[in-house]
Parts: sequence; structure tokens; C-alpha cells
Amino acid sequence: MAIEDMAFLIPVLPALAFVLTFFLGKKLPNGGAIIPIIAIFTSFVISLMITLNLLQNPEQVVSQSYNWFAILNVGVLIDPLAAVMLSMVSFVSLLIHIYAVGYMSHDKAQPRYFAETALFTAAMLGVVLSDNILQFFICWELVGLCSYLLIGFWFEKPSAASAAKKAFLTTRVGDVMFLAGIILLFADIFRIFNGSIPEGVYVLRFDEIFTHIPEIAALNTQIFGFEVSHLTIITLLFFGGAVGKSGQFPLHVWLPDAMEGPTTVSALIHAATMVTAGVYLVARTFPMFLAAPYSLLVVAYLGAFTALFAATMGLVMNDIKRVLAFSTISQLGYMMLGLGMGAVIGVTAVGDSLFHLINHAFFKALLFLCAGSVIHAVGTQDIRQMGGVRKVMPITFATMLIASLALAGFGIPGTSIGVSGFFSKDPIIEAAYLFGESTENWVPYLFSIVAALLTSIYIFRLIFMTFTGKPRTNYGGHESPSVMTVPLMILGVLALVFGALTKTGFGKFLEETFANNFVNMDIHALAEIGKYHLASHGAGSEPLLILWMPVIVAIAGLLISYLIYGMRIIDMSSIVSRKNPIYKLLYNRYYQNAIFTQFLAVKVIYEGLALAGRAIDRGFDWTVYLIGHIFTEASDGLRLLQTGVVQNYATSVVTGVSLLIILVKLILEVF
Amino acid sequence: MIPLFYYLALSAIIFSIGLFGFMTQRSGIRMLMCVELMLNAANINLVAFSSYNGDLTGQVFALYSIALAAAEAAIGFAILMSIYRVRDMIDLNKINVLRW
Repeated sequence: MAIEDMAFLIPVLPALAFVLTFFLGKKLPNGGAIIPIIAIFTSFVISLMITLNLLQNPEQVVSQSYNWFAILNVGVLIDPLAAVMLSMVSFVSLLIHIYAVGYMSHDKAQPRYFAETALFTAAMLGVVLSDNILQFFICWELVGLCSYLLIGFWFEKPSAASAAKKAFLTTRVGDVMFLAGIILLFADIFRIFNGSIPEGVYVLRFDEIFTHIPEIAALNTQIFGFEVSHLTIITLLFFGGAVGKSGQFPLHVWLPDAMEGPTTVSALIHAATMVTAGVYLVARTFPMFLAAPYSLLVVAYLGAFTALFAATMGLVMNDIKRVLAFSTISQLGYMMLGLGMGAVIGVTAVGDSLFHLINHAFFKALLFLCAGSVIHAVGTQDIRQMGGVRKVMPITFATMLIASLALAGFGIPGTSIGVSGFFSKDPIIEAAYLFGESTENWVPYLFSIVAALLTSIYIFRLIFMTFTGKPRTNYGGHESPSVMTVPLMILGVLALVFGALTKTGFGKFLEETFANNFVNMDIHALAEIGKYHLASHGAGSEPLLILWMPVIVAIAGLLISYLIYGMRIIDMSSIVSRKNPIYKLLYNRYYQNAIFTQFLAVKVIYEGLALAGRAIDRGFDWTVYLIGHIFTEASDGLRLLQTGVVQNYATSVVTGVSLLIILVKLILEVF
Repeated sequence: MIPLFYYLALSAIIFSIGLFGFMTQRSGIRMLMCVELMLNAANINLVAFSSYNGDLTGQVFALYSIALAAAEAAIGFAILMSIYRVRDMIDLNKINVLRW
């Protein structure tokens, strides 16, 4: 049996593990953790084998389709893009599951935990290997459901329950846009076929969609007096879905609150499963974005803005997991920016962005698992109450330091020396520079550089506050058991060397996605449809200062953090106070929560929509009541005819029959 | 042979008696008897036409009708008996609990 035939098992095995763990978990040790671990390990092995096979024979893409009903299908598509995602998702998820055996050992609801995380992983794997947009959407929604269940895992805590609800509702806003995009896309393809779909054509398959890109791009609609291509509308709606799932501004509000779940769940959401789905959606449909005017620019600007916006908030958070949450939002902004840079560098952008996604998955999972390890030992999430944890937990400290270096992006440009984040963040920033050069628009580049500086500051603030100095409160604590530290070390090694090992091959491998598998994928022609001017020369030929800039700001950030939080030379107490308006603004997260709850929820939804809805409802009620009332009144009068006296009835019968006879007689007489 | 007209006249008279009784009487049993009269007026018609036409179908029909009338009478009387047991009278105009 060829490995390709087992591709469908990749999501199916964790899904089976979900069922088994759910029902049998109670009877097994550790809440049946062994079942999902084995299932996900098998998925990982299959994914890895397919990936390795694709590395050698890039044209051997796994593509299987089965008729579902009518013109829709279910299928598996594993091209290089999907393959690297599958391997990463299953691998990180596997490590998190192993780690969770230790982390969740004191929890009573272990079977539920492992069942739900298995389903979460299955749903994400399903998203990645979908070969049509509808299946993609179904799995996408399943991911949303699992995130709801897992964020609200400790549902007896009101804050967790409301965080789960918030995550679900916020991502729902994006999901509705995504669904609208799918519907519009379906309608357009249907129109292109003139309503008669040939036998064996599945309209929502990615390759089918991509062959129709020029025709969809040619369809135009007037919006506010502007001619807008349908493709732009569809891609922006898709991007709306990605904004919700990947926590881009303004729908990022759910991500920091998602910290209410167990730390392992945060690691799953932030590294492997949920938030990367949005980036993957844009990468998957990248040819559409490339052919859609303005779409990539929107992606780029919003990504750059989110990267900076989230980083500023990460500076002032005191909850160790919140800092990491804002860091995730910021890094996702980088990935989106990287994809948006397709406007100048074409499909290379997908390689850059996905490279950052994979590296980020490793170091962010590592950061969260380290944070979990610290929380597990110290018993608090507030970094002001920690300090000096390095002495208690040397392994955690070492791995967390590696992850932080990777996040900040330390390395030497032009060589293979550097941590993984360096090799993936740099190309994105360089692409942003290229974008500035070719369009004279430096906003994305400036945003990304400032965000890089802030990234370095906030992550080392976290390190210095947590691990160095003297303990600020009297916590006990000990190094975590080896079931927790071994995944940390594996991820640590990957965060350290993965970037350096794969920096040249990765992008090239991903470009095969668009070179080999889809018909008629002429990137330059697509970019022409989208009116993007691809740069003639690639990234990497910038002035030396530009090449060194990300590293310089990273080192600067480290120094600033060291001076403030390590040496405590600069006194921050005057700045870090509730009286400082900027600090207050950042600490309250730009009052976005307040705006959403006070204004959107109360004013718009409750007082506006709900009251209007009530008025409309009353209107309908009134009509329904009126009709009912007419009939009750009428029957109230008419029932008096039913006297109940038999003779009355007999009289009417006889009268009626007599009249009938007379009538018949008369008619016969006349004619 | 007696002409058809006589039979029809007899039938009409009996029917009218039945109808009159049905419309004027209050006692349930009398009303039921009047219904029987009307039914039998119709039976006379059936048999008369049958005999006049030389076709036995009408007479067979009349037999069915008589059997049905017997069944109907049995049920009707049974109902009236039960009503009498409960209410001590069988004035159908006063049996009106189900009315509005």
C-alpha cells in the first residue's frame, strides 16, 4: 500500500482517537492520553513520509477526490504547502500532547481534555489537506468549535466561560465573511459555466477555482461608484475569515482572553492549530489574492499594523501568558505582511510567510510550554510575583531563552548563524523594504521594524522579570517532570536550528506548490491581472544597513530591556503608573474591549439591533394576532347557528332539499 | 296489477307523516320511530320501482336497507336508554351539554 493511499488517515486517526478517548479515557491511566498520542504520532509519520517523498519528487502531489453529492466533492490534496503544514501541525501537536500528560496530571477531566485536543488536531489537519474550499470551511468551523470547548475547558470559572464565548463570537464574525466569500465564489463559477456543470467537475476544488481566476477577475460590480472586481470582493471576504481566525486587528480581541484555557491549549491554539489556519487560508488561495487588485495591499497593511499594534500592548502586560498572546498576534501580523508582500515578490511571499509560520510554531509552542512549566511550578501567572525562577528551573530557563532569542530574531545576516526566527522574519522585513522601494510607500517597512524592536523589548522584559533577580514572592516550585521537559528540549533544538537548516530549501520547496500542481499557474500573468508590479530582483540585495537593521533593533531591544528590568538602572516607576495616559492606554489595550462591549455590544447590538428587532417582532406579532383575531370573532358569531336542537337541523335540511328540488324543476322548465 | 302511482302515493304519505313527526315530536324514541317511517317510505319506493321494472336489484337494495335500519335502531335505542338512565328523560332538545 503506497503511502499516498494512507493520506486520508492523517485527520481520521486523531478523530477516531477523539471518540475512543472520550468513551474509554476514564478507564485508562492519564485519562487515556496514550490514544491521541499514538494516533497523532501515526499522522505525523505519514505526513513526514509524504513530505519527504515530495521533497525528492515534487510532482508526486497527493490528490484524491471522491464525489460527495452533485457537484461537490471530498478529497485530499497534499502539495508541498499542505505537506509542511501537516508535518508541523502533527509534530507540534504531538509534543504538546506528551507535555500535557504531565501538565494536566492533576486535572480530573483529563479524558475530556485529551478527547477535545485530539479533535482539535484532527480538525486542523482536515483544514490543511482539504482539496476544496467547502471541506476546508467545514473543518475550519470544527476548529472554531474545538477552540470554544478548550478555551472554556474550566467552564466552572466564569472568566473561562465568557472567554470561550468571546472567542467563538469574535471568530464567527470572520467565519460569516468567509462563508459569504464561498457563496459568492460558487455563484460566480456557476455563472461562468452558464449553469450547466459538466460531469466530473467539482466546482469548489482549489484547482478548478484557480483555472477560473481570470474569468472571475473580469466580473465587476459597482460599489459606492467604484468598479470592484469580484475576485477582490471574494478574496477580501476570505481575508475577513482569516482576520477572525488569525487574530488580526480588529478581531484579535479574543486571543488574549483565550488564555483562560489550560496553557497547553494556549500552546495548541497559538502555535499549531487555530491561528495558523487563517494564514494558511490566504496561502492556499494565494493565486486568487495575487490576481485580485488591492487585496494583497489590504493584507499587507493590516498585517503590518497588527504586528506593531499588538507589540505595543505586549510591552505592558503583566500576565506571562498575555504577553505571549500579544506576541502571537504580532507575529501573525508579520505572516500576513509576508503574504501581502506577494505584491512585489510574487509566490516567494508564500514561502517566506509559511517559513515564519513554521518557525513561529516551534518557538511559540516552546514559549507557551515553558510558561506553562513556570506556572505549574510557581502557581501564579503574574510576572511581577516571579523573579529568580532561573535557579529553580534551569531547563525551562534555557529553553525559554532560546525561544525568546528565536522570537526576537538574533543572527548574523549573510551567514547560516542565527536562530530560526531570524531566518524567517528577515525575509519578510526585507520584502517590506523592497515594497517600499518599488512603491515609495514605507509604512509597512517602518511598522515591521518598530514592531521588531518592541518584540525584542517585551520578550526580554518577560525573561528578566521572570527568571533573573531575586524571588519577589515566596513561591515554592521545582523543575517540571521529564515528560514536560523533554518536549521543551526537542522544541528548543528545533527553534535553534530549524531555520538555519532549511533556510534555502524551504522557500524553493513551497514554490513548487504553485509551479507543479495547478494548471495554468503563470504567476506573472496572475500578477498582471491583479495590477501588481513584481520586483525584477529578489530580496537580499539591499544595502548592508538594511540587512542588519532587524538584528540591530533586536539587540537594541535586548539592551533596553536589560537596562530597565535586568540592571534596574532606569527607573520606570514614573512611566509605569496608572497616571501616565500612554501606559494607561496600552494597559487597557487601547480600550478596544471597552469599545466592543460598551459601544458595540450595548449601544449597537442591544439598544440598536435588539430594540429594532423587537419593534419588527412586534409588527409581525401584531399581524399574526390580527389574523387570528378575525377568525375568533367570526366563529364567535357563526357558532350561534349550531343550536344543538335536532329539529332545527332537520328543518334546514328539509328546506334546503325542497329549495333544491324547486330550483332543479325551474331550470328544467326554462331549458 | 296495482299501478305504480299508488305505491308512490303511499310512500309519499308515509314519508310526510315521518317528516312531520320528526319535526314536531320531542321524545327521542318517537323521533327515532319517525325516522324509521321515512326510511321505510323510501324502501317502498325501491321495491315498487323494482317490481315495475322487473329488475330484482331494487329489492335486494331494500333488504340491505332494512338490515341497516335495524342496526341503526338498535344503536339509537341503546343510546337513548343510557341517556334515560343518566338524565331521567329523553327530551332531545334538553340534551345540550356539548353546545356552546
